[in-house]
Amino acid sequence: MKQTLDRSRRRHSGLVISKRRFVASVTVPLLLYEALGIFVLAWAFVLMFFDYSPGRLGGPILGLGGSNPFVGLGNFIEMFSGDSVQAGLFRASLRNTLIFAVAVLPLNLAITLPLAWLLESIGNRFKALYRTIYFLPVLTSSVGVALIWMSMYDPQAGWINAIIRAFGGTPVAWLSDPRAGFAGVSVAMWAVIIAYLWQDYGYNMVIFIAALQGVPQELREAALIDGANSWQAFTRITLPLIRPTMLFVCVMTMLSSFQVFDIIQVMTNGGPNNQTQVLMLDIYKSAFRYQNMGWAAAESFVLFLIVMGVTLFQMRVLRTDWEY
Amino acid sequence: MKHKILALLMVLALALTACGGRTEQAGDEGVIVLRMWVHTNNAFIAGYEAAIAAYEAEHPNVDIQLENFDYELYLQTLQTAMPAGEEADILQLFGTWTSQYYERLAPVPPEVMTVEEAQQTFYAAPIGGFIVNGVLYGMPQEFNMEYGGVLVNKSLYEAAGLTYPPQWQTMDDVLADARALVQTDASGMMTVAGFHFTSADPTAFSFLAGIKQRGGDYWNADRTGFTFNTPEARAQLQWMVDAVNAGVVDPVVFNDETNFVIDAFFQGKVGIGYIGSWAIAEGQANFPDFADEWDYCYLPPFQGDPVFVADSGWGLTVSPNSPHQDIAWDFVKFVTTNPQIATQWNIASGTIPAMPVVAESPEIAAAMPWVPKALEILPYGQYLGNMPDRDLVVYEIIYPHILNTLQGVETVDQALQAIDTEANSTFR
Repeated sequence: MKQTLDRSRRRHSGLVISKRRFVASVTVPLLLYEALGIFVLAWAFVLMFFDYSPGRLGGPILGLGGSNPFVGLGNFIEMFSGDSVQAGLFRASLRNTLIFAVAVLPLNLAITLPLAWLLESIGNRFKALYRTIYFLPVLTSSVGVALIWMSMYDPQAGWINAIIRAFGGTPVAWLSDPRAGFAGVSVAMWAVIIAYLWQDYGYNMVIFIAALQGVPQELREAALIDGANSWQAFTRITLPLIRPTMLFVCVMTMLSSFQVFDIIQVMTNGGPNNQTQVLMLDIYKSAFRYQNMGWAAAESFVLFLIVMGVTLFQMRVLRTDWEY
Repeated sequence: MKHKILALLMVLALALTACGGRTEQAGDEGVIVLRMWVHTNNAFIAGYEAAIAAYEAEHPNVDIQLENFDYELYLQTLQTAMPAGEEADILQLFGTWTSQYYERLAPVPPEVMTVEEAQQTFYAAPIGGFIVNGVLYGMPQEFNMEYGGVLVNKSLYEAAGLTYPPQWQTMDDVLADARALVQTDASGMMTVAGFHFTSADPTAFSFLAGIKQRGGDYWNADRTGFTFNTPEARAQLQWMVDAVNAGVVDPVVFNDETNFVIDAFFQGKVGIGYIGSWAIAEGQANFPDFADEWDYCYLPPFQGDPVFVADSGWGLTVSPNSPHQDIAWDFVKFVTTNPQIATQWNIASGTIPAMPVVAESPEIAAAMPWVPKALEILPYGQYLGNMPDRDLVVYEIIYPHILNTLQGVETVDQALQAIDTEANSTFR
């Protein structure tokens, strides 16, 4: 009896040791990874209170102080009230980022939701084919997409201007004319918005298709039997039921719009006349071209606050307290 | 317990490996290994490889390992490696950047070269940037001249019925040729620019040269601030506006982002393209099928002597963290001041030599026929000056406001006021 008990205890003790080893082998690397991530965030947080440039030697502790002086909230005050070129660029970038995000979100929804609905209503034979075609731009590299659209927008050899010429119109320098605008927004900004939408819409469309497939068909049929037409069934039944998906799509689209970078850097690099200079591009230039890391860290923090605020707002407006 | 100690040792070993500082690099026994960082430019790299081979032949105990990075990545690598003390022993640096990095660079030891010797050895503009607060931090390899040089398309000249080679006495002669070279399509859009001077560097450096040639200066007396809102600056900017109004270029369709001068010239879209001579090697490499005949010429001054300002171009510096600074400096001096090595490097990279003795050599004249044409104006070159942030001033302040003016978005007065205010705000 005692031997059996000892064997059982040994087995139990061996199991506990194995479990502990497993937990340690999983958690230690994770903790190290987290620590690294936290250090980077903490470093960025500290930098925003300094006029820090990696080219300068600075003080003895991590190069802070000395020729990289502490400026407190100076970077933030300068951003919103200063007359320096960086402050002007920041304000222009902030304005352009908001224009970009505000334009992209409704346009994206206006394209992807009806398209998803249409795709759901066609036969299964073509559904996968169309879904693949529409999703292909998402899989294409942003640089490739930017180059394709640049060639189409080319003022001399692009086919968009070729069509305009064929109809007797005046060609436009889509990406480089600072005087051309539409609805108070520069033509260059519209041009990059269109290119971005083209690349991005397949992603949301697939998500909406999945959401539409999850809506119980009997609810829609019941509405139709009760006398609702297709539009009413869509707006009164389908749309409310996919509201959690709408929230997800809105938040993700807004987040990616605020972080747009590569497609704009390749297509316009912020021009003409800074009309497409967005915050991520400005942060990148400040940090790596002009070596103004403290300023770039402060800009990043402002971007973080904006993104967090917009996300919380969307979650409050679009949240649902029920499931089906 | 044994396992715990073993695990602890492994974690410590990992941490030490990750956080380790510069390690003594040694290959074969007795061989000293030096790392050298440069930006990626195939023509430059070919020149460096030849120079390294020549040095290693004379010094068999030294192994110099060349590492190259794309331009943007090179900037980022310098900015992250230098604070960590992990940069290479020898660093290629654009001379004008020295005033931003000098705290992290080793000064040139006096026994290698003094400031006075450097000023006698090199042209004023290339060496200027490597001297900060009276201390020499590196040696230049090229005269980075953005002012005055133009690519000229002979085929377009002949098609327009103009005399070739151009016989320009004044800038009015240039504009007259340019007007004849312009071509537009049926919709009125310019398809060939007569005189493309609206890319960033040509615009900014001809603006600064024009100020100087008209007797003005963009620096205040003690060089602690800028003076861009002056009659000389106004006259120069107005000249540029008048050139655009004369129809020699459409700055909306031809600028730094759209139809950049090198790309446009080597596609036959530009008659006279304003760009530094470094563009020759790049154009030949990127557009090998370009069939038009062309040449590289120099413009007459706007007024008076051809005074101009220039950056300190690419040169070599040494890390203060290098354990073999003496050998690194010996190599830098060998590459930059040995006339034979400097000549081969300038020919390989297609750059104007930083040393008069090399620029005037028959080998350079034979390999780069545009250099002898520049010899008359090279002595007029002055260093741009140690700006707080040269790229910010040139690319985010001067060029955008001038381009806005040329595109009709700002007036001359608005542009000068904005340039003056914003450029002075970079002194913080």
